[in-house]
Amino acid sequence: MAVVDSNGLIADGWARLADDAPVPKGGSVVVSFARLKNEHNSLFSAATKVGVDIPSDVNLGELEPFLPRLGVIVVRFATMRDGRVFSVGRLLRERYGYAADMRAVGPFIPDQAQFLLRCGFTSFEVDDSYPVESFKRSARAYSVWYQRATDRAASVAELRQGALDGSKS
Amino acid sequence: MYIYDKFDHTITRERVAEFSQQVARRLTGELSEDQFRPLRLMNGLYLQLHAYMLRVAIPYGTLSSKQLHMLADIAKKYDRDYAHFTTRQNLQYNWIKLDQVPDLLADLASVEMHANQTSGNCIRNVTADQFAGVAGDEVEDPRIISEIIRQWSTFHPEFLYLPRKFKIAVTGAPKDRAAIQFHDIGLQIVRNDAGEVGYAVYVGGGMGRTPIVGPLIRGFVPKAQILSYLEAILRVYNRYGRRDNIYKARIKILVRETGQAEFTRQVEEEWPLIRDTGVDIPAGEEARIRAFFAPPAYETIAEPVVAFVEAKKKYPAFDRWVSTNVHPHKVKGYGAVTISLKPIGGIPGDASSTQMHAIADLADTYSLSEVRVTHVQNLVLPNVKQADLFAVWQRLGEIGFADANIGLVTDIIACPGLDYCALANARSIPVSQRISERFADLDRQHTVGPLQIKISGCINACGHHHAGHIGILGVDKAGVEFYQITLGGAGDEKASVGTLLGPGFPGDQITDAVERVVNTYLELRSSPTETFIEAYRRVGAAPFKESLYGRR
Ligand code: SF4
Repeated sequence: MAVVDSNGLIADGWARLADDAPVPKGGSVVVSFARLKNEHNSLFSAATKVGVDIPSDVNLGELEPFLPRLGVIVVRFATMRDGRVFSVGRLLRERYGYAADMRAVGPFIPDQAQFLLRCGFTSFEVDDSYPVESFKRSARAYSVWYQRATDRAASVAELRQGALDGSKS
Repeated sequence: MYIYDKFDHTITRERVAEFSQQVARRLTGELSEDQFRPLRLMNGLYLQLHAYMLRVAIPYGTLSSKQLHMLADIAKKYDRDYAHFTTRQNLQYNWIKLDQVPDLLADLASVEMHANQTSGNCIRNVTADQFAGVAGDEVEDPRIISEIIRQWSTFHPEFLYLPRKFKIAVTGAPKDRAAIQFHDIGLQIVRNDAGEVGYAVYVGGGMGRTPIVGPLIRGFVPKAQILSYLEAILRVYNRYGRRDNIYKARIKILVRETGQAEFTRQVEEEWPLIRDTGVDIPAGEEARIRAFFAPPAYETIAEPVVAFVEAKKKYPAFDRWVSTNVHPHKVKGYGAVTISLKPIGGIPGDASSTQMHAIADLADTYSLSEVRVTHVQNLVLPNVKQADLFAVWQRLGEIGFADANIGLVTDIIACPGLDYCALANARSIPVSQRISERFADLDRQHTVGPLQIKISGCINACGHHHAGHIGILGVDKAGVEFYQITLGGAGDEKASVGTLLGPGFPGDQITDAVERVVNTYLELRSSPTETFIEAYRRVGAAPFKESLYGRR
């Protein structure tokens, strides 16, 4: 397993904790959503940082109370065509104001990197054999976009109007 | 027409580069076929029975003559010298080689065209009334919002991996020429009581194995907020649409299973939360796009146009063509010509490169360089002076496209069927050819009057048989092609799904069966002005059943 962002490989400080493994003192652990719900008190007091691994059909309302204390949210693609991941990313960022690391995991392909980045994802868990160069290229495939998204990049419509306003003044 | 600026050019160029390297990575094996498949589909590239098929987007069915010339050149350069216009106002090439696709896309880009999102589980090419801007009955030109939607939906980061494909259609007039209630979202441009322009929104219509006429979920969305409303619908669908069963994945099933009221509530709950996040475009941008669709400089012409009236008197065949193929224009002295791509015995929607060049030339000479594609697989010259109609008709005769059959029994829609399509149960094209030949006599066609026959080669219903006055569906019965008949479908503002009459007919009997249905109508109609669909709505299916299957 490796972790990348839009610039390539990054160090990963997170350890996965199986549901039946004891919570280590200190350290940064990622747990299942079920475990987070059941053991959040002991988790947050024992570990230094806590993250959660969620499926793409998660009930975001149930996750909401934990958001301010989470250090990473790992959103799981069921298949590469699992488009729910993109909506979950945007909602966590834009609706719930989640600001820490948000990570995609699962069978997504490098060509989806650009869209995940636009939807607020900041890191990506991939196989060691993953074509990281293709991933980086995808992240830069487009220099402008027609629509607004989580990244708040100005849309083409806004760029045009900016240019028009500028030419008037 | 809309003209690209530097931003549109940049995105189109970057798209060609992106897809070219995706093809290269497929060829080296970095991408598996499973991984490549959604990528190529999002670029309109299908693997068909014999070769790759490439579907080119013709946004809302509007083409310049220059673009049509290029489409003809591409047909010659990369295909077998012809192309096929589809029911979604797109164009398909049937014999494409994978390694040529990057060059082909670059050729398209040179005339501001692309194949973006013409397939795949994403927002597809938006369709609109072929008479946009020239019909007298429209509230506003639907191409303006269509272009806005084209841009918003292109590479929308959240909505490229929807549960299933997603089709949006727009009509600018109360008379629906875009079949909006058979789309995932149908927009009708309306005026509210205060006189403001906005949109009535229909959701969850569709064909396929579960044909549904889409219900109205909101009577008025203000113009400036339509993108956020669409985004709210798409988000609810993307999150909750079914992904476990391909046959239940369209939004129509979500609306039905959730219930229209609850679905609407979810959309209305989402909408205000995204309304002010910059999704909706600035007013200046709407004005910028609107300016591209300002009416061209029409001449002031007094009616009647004497030469035109004289020609109609002198040439009855021309007169008849005008009666079926020329639609009234909002400007005096002009007409909108529908060019029939349905010659008797031909393949519906097919045109050779020579024919395409000839039509592009006609557009340059007589129609302000504009061409439209209809969802009935015909072409339109939208701005022809009445005084020029005779010359246009003559030239069309020379290229074999002067049939006076628009809206008549031989103006048939047929999907590619088993001749091309990997999903087909039965052939569609030969069935349409035989019906067309049976009704070749133009006098008889005009006696029968308006009648839409639509043929699909399988339950996916690409030939829109559910919306045909007479619908024909190919089915496979123990390895033999059979054809079922439905009656009473309609794709206009009185949208309805056709009713299955009874057991199917083998291929060598379907033409006789259709003829019997037509003859039954002729016998029972109350007057020569009562159309087939009106008569069917009055009498129901019983007399037609009896004529096909006898008394029970
Ligand atoms: S209706 Fe069926 S046979 Fe016809 S084009 Fe569609 S999928 Fe193919």
